[in-house]
Parts: sequence; structure tokens; C-alpha cells
Amino acid sequence: MEDSDFALKYPFSSEAKRIIRDVALTDSVVELGAERIKKALRKDSSARVVIDESSKKEEIASFAAARMILGHLRNTFITSKFAVNESKAVRSQLDRDGRKIVERVASRFGIAVGEHDGRQKIDLPTYLKYSIRAPYYRLINRKLTNGFVEISDNDLKRLVEEAVRKHVEDIPLVKNAPESIKKAGERLIDELPKSETTITVREGDHPPCILKLLESAKKHENLNHSARWFFAVYLTKINMGEEAITGIYANLPDFNQRTTAYQLSHIRKKGYNVPSCATVMSYGLCCAVCRVGNPIKWHKLSEQRKKEILG
Amino acid sequence: MKEQDLKRMKKIFASYYETAEFSIPEIEKREFGIGNVKKIDARHLDFPNVQSFRSYLCNNTPMFVSHSAAYYEFPAATPMQKKQWKGADLIFDLDIHAEGKYGPYRKLDEVKEDLDRLVNDFIRNDFGISQEHIIMVFSGNRGYHVHVRAPGFTELGGDERRELVDYVMGQGLNYREFFTFSEHRPPKMFGPRPDEGGYRGRMARRTVDLLMKNPSAISRLFANEKKREFFIGGIKKGNWSKTSLKLKDLRERLKIVADTLPVSSVNTDVGVTQDLSKLIRVPNSIHGETGLIAKIVDDISSFEPLRDAVLESKEIMKIKFTEDVPEVALMGESRSFRKDEAKELPLPAAMFYVLKGSAVIS
Repeated sequence: MEDSDFALKYPFSSEAKRIIRDVALTDSVVELGAERIKKALRKDSSARVVIDESSKKEEIASFAAARMILGHLRNTFITSKFAVNESKAVRSQLDRDGRKIVERVASRFGIAVGEHDGRQKIDLPTYLKYSIRAPYYRLINRKLTNGFVEISDNDLKRLVEEAVRKHVEDIPLVKNAPESIKKAGERLIDELPKSETTITVREGDHPPCILKLLESAKKHENLNHSARWFFAVYLTKINMGEEAITGIYANLPDFNQRTTAYQLSHIRKKGYNVPSCATVMSYGLCCAVCRVGNPIKWHKLSEQRKKEILG
Repeated sequence: MKEQDLKRMKKIFASYYETAEFSIPEIEKREFGIGNVKKIDARHLDFPNVQSFRSYLCNNTPMFVSHSAAYYEFPAATPMQKKQWKGADLIFDLDIHAEGKYGPYRKLDEVKEDLDRLVNDFIRNDFGISQEHIIMVFSGNRGYHVHVRAPGFTELGGDERRELVDYVMGQGLNYREFFTFSEHRPPKMFGPRPDEGGYRGRMARRTVDLLMKNPSAISRLFANEKKREFFIGGIKKGNWSKTSLKLKDLRERLKIVADTLPVSSVNTDVGVTQDLSKLIRVPNSIHGETGLIAKIVDDISSFEPLRDAVLESKEIMKIKFTEDVPEVALMGESRSFRKDEAKELPLPAAMFYVLKGSAVIS
């Protein structure tokens, strides 16, 4: 694969950095960067088709420009959305590219795949860093020997996807941004849908694990599937209305009205019970020692005890 | 404790600190905390080297002294964010939970077994960390701390450390995922082999163990030696289908094995490992509640905290008990005491009871 094509697909790579070294931050590059962010807000992770070399360069540079805009804005909501979208785009490229490319991209994040006893493995600290906290990826359900975790080709791609998300989300602060970046940022904010969601749930009314999820939602952080499911079941069980729950979920970077509506009605229809503390713990979401057995039983605790637990 | 007793204790502490051995890696990057009333009354202290730390201990002599598991660019800076976190040792805390003031001291052996398993089975075998990066420390009271300082692990975040603790505690273990079924006829179930690492290997080894010790625990079928041996032979190759049992049923029956896996795991204090700014007792400092040294343990099997972690002293101290004390095996001697009893005891033993609040110096 040509370096420019590689850089186009993987704009965070060192190849990309080298290619755009001499590209000026023109208005059109900034505009492309802003467009890239808008695509993320629309959840459109398709790749833009560019053919000639100079447009390729501009397209690669648009990633850097987008990051500058985000670094200037410092808005966690937009940044999370952008990170999720870019990582999804990378994932679909990885699915199309061969094994060699996947390894090349992985190595960018220090993910070194090794062969041990004919199995594909990566070292434990790296695995911990980039695996998501879903049951399938929990360390306890993996083959772990002598500091190495066995992974499948698909696992590797998922780890890279998460590495990209984390990398993109970690945007350096841009102080004294160029005028063009500032303007693009302003326009972006102006174009944001104005339905600012407000979360109005009295704190202390919920167990610490739920408070933490609320906190994450407020900060527009991404939640994994088990977290979303648990959160939704809990909120449903305390008789929070669908509209209010949707209001909370609208804060998540990859919120989708239809999916959320469908999932909430599914939860209601099936009448799921709130998972036990042990299950919540297995999702990696337990963050305190309440000894209630089930998060829903939090509401039976005395105010005194609640205060003690919340510190 | 009486004012003059406390003064006396501090004097003994101070004379120990004059020559105590401290090897605190990257001491200049650690935050220190000291305590007299509580375990930590003041924190955000820093010391450029062991000498200055030692002279602080000799001159001020706190009852408790801790250092951060973390390394910071500016360890004394406040608030926390200004310290600039550079990494942290991975800490595991093993504590005994027992009733009564002296209950834990009778169960110190139990936690030793857990310590052995934690270090050898989990940290060394599964996590692949070599012995040179691990230190085991008696907490000075009723448990042990394991400090791990291995490349790659010191940079882990709280969430990632939590994953390691959950692993050690067997949280979220879904043993059913260890097994896969083949679509072909006859049906087959593949699972872990005894020579595999981690929980998978443990699952296979425990199943074989159980089949040998209690053949019909999984199914009465295995009371038949031939059928049992045939099944075990398959497990050794990772083929769990060498039986006439329905394979999906068999997998469910194996739950009784899976349930024992977490029990053998270590009950580790979750908060300590996860908290990136946690302060932990300085190895080789004295625990102010017992007068015992938070001693670095080289050989777990031969270490007896109530014998090996006491101060070296030939002195005798006269004390008077202010309450009944049940039998404790201190310094190789099991003794109990009655209220108002006056005794002459070796200094470390006398200190132990005075600091526990069961006696006064007479």
C-alpha cells in the first residue's frame, strides 16, 4: 500500500504526520476538518473518496485540523463523538485491510503481537490498556499465561479500535489557536442542535455505581454495552419515564434516538430485573462497598448508612 | 494511652529508626504521610533521600509512617493534580477479618496461604512478573502488602488495576466460556487442558482432582473407574466429550468445580489496588498499634510475624494489664493475661500490649 493511501486511512500514523508536514493550514483544510467533526456528530463514519495526491494530503491534514478545533473547543461531548466515529471508521478500514496492515497500525499504539506456542498473544499491560470492560474481554475469561493474553484476529482489531478511540479522545489543549480554527469552532458550536439535555436526578438517591454512570453520562463519556443495559434497567425499575431516560442517554457520544427507544421498550417488555451486585461487579461497574446485594436495594438503606457509604 | 507511656514508646521507635534499613525505590518521587492519632494525620510530605527521611523519623517519631505507591514529579505539591503522577507500584493488600481485638493474631497463618497463592499462582505464573519485581511486606498488624514494581504495570490506571484485582478475586468468572461445542456428529465439547495457565488450567486441574477424590460428585457415572479414566484422558487433551453424558448437561454439572475456583483466590482489599494515590505503610517502619515492624518477607513459609517482626531488644519492661487478654502466641510463647496482673515482659511483648491499649507501663 502506498504511504499516502495508508495515511489517508490511518491519519494518526507517523506516515500521515510526515506527509502533512508541509501542508499549510489553509481555510479549505480547516473547513474539511470542521466537516469531519460534523460527520461525527451525524454518526457518518464513511470515508471520503479522494483521488488526486493534493486532495489526499488535504484530507489527511483535515484530521489534524479537526483535532486542533477540538483542542481549542475543549468540549468533551463533541470530542467523544469524534473519537468514537474516527475509531469506527478505522475499524471498517481494518476489516478491509490485510493482516500486515492491522499489525502495522497496532504497533503504532505499542500493541506488539507475538506468537507463543503457535498462538497469537499480546502482553498483559497492553491488553489491560486497550480491552473494553465487556464480559467477553474480562481478563478472567481469557487465556492468560505468563503475562501474555491470547487474542483472535477479531480481538486484535477491537483492541486497535479502542486504542484509536483513546488516542483521538486524548486531545492536547490548543492555546492561542489560529483565527481560522477559532472561527470554525464557533461555527460548529452554533450549528449544534440546541436541545441541551439536562439531567435532573437528585444525587444521593442512587447507589454509587449508578451515580458514577450518571457522572459519565453528564461528561458525555462513552459507556459499553453492559453499562448501558444495567443503567437502563435500573432507571426503568425506579419508574423513571422513558423520556427522562432518553434524556440521559442523549448525552452519550453515539446516542441514537431510535435504538434507545427500541431498547427501552424491549427492557420494559421483558421486565428484566436489576442485575445483582455480583453481576454488576463482573461488568466492572461496582465502585463501592454497600453490601446491599442488589443496587435496587439501595433505596431500603437508612439515610445515615447511605451517607456513610458515599463518604 | 498515658502521655508518659506514649513518650516512652516514641523513644523506643526513635532508637530503632536510627539504624533501621530502608530501601525505598525512588524515594524522592514519593509522597509521605505520617500519623499519631490516626494512621494518617498529615500527608504531602517529601524527602530527597533516606538520610533526611531517617532524621525526620528520629526527631519527630510519628506512630505511623506511609509512602505513596505512586511516583510524582512534585510529591509534596497540593492539590493532588499538581503532583503530576508518573506511575505507581501495583499494591495488593491482604487483611484478616476476625472478631475481637486479638482474634486476627490467631489467624495470621491463614493469610499466609493466601499470600503464597497470590504471589506464586497469580502474580508470577499468570501475570508473568518475576520475583525481582515483587516484595512482600508484613503490614505490622494483621495482614500483608505485596508491592509489584514491574515495567508496564506501574503505568496502569485505576480501572486496569481493578481488572487485575477482579481477576485475582475471581470476580465475573464465566466458566461456561471455557467450553466450545463442535457442530459435527458425534457432538464434541472442547475445553481447557490441565497444563494451561490461568483459570482455564485451574479449572481442568480441579476437575481432575475432584474426579479422583470424589468420583461421583460430578456424575455417578464416574464412580465407574473405566468411565472416569476415559473421561480424564480426554480432559488432558482438552477434549471433554469422552463420556456418554449429554455435553450441555455436563457443562452445567461442572459448575460445582467452577464455584471452588474463586474460593481459592485471594480476598484482596479492592480499594488499595485501585486507588492511584494510596499511601501504604513504609516497609521496615513500625506499626504504631502493635510495635511490630512492617518487615519485608523473604521466605513466606518460614516467616512468623509474631516472632520475626518484633524489635530486637534484650530489655525487660514492667507493665500492668488493664483488661483481660486472651491467649496470643507472641515471641514463641502462648500466654493469656488477667486484668490488674503485673508482669515483667520482654520489651517487644510489653510494647505490643501497651500499644494495643490492654496494659500500662508500671
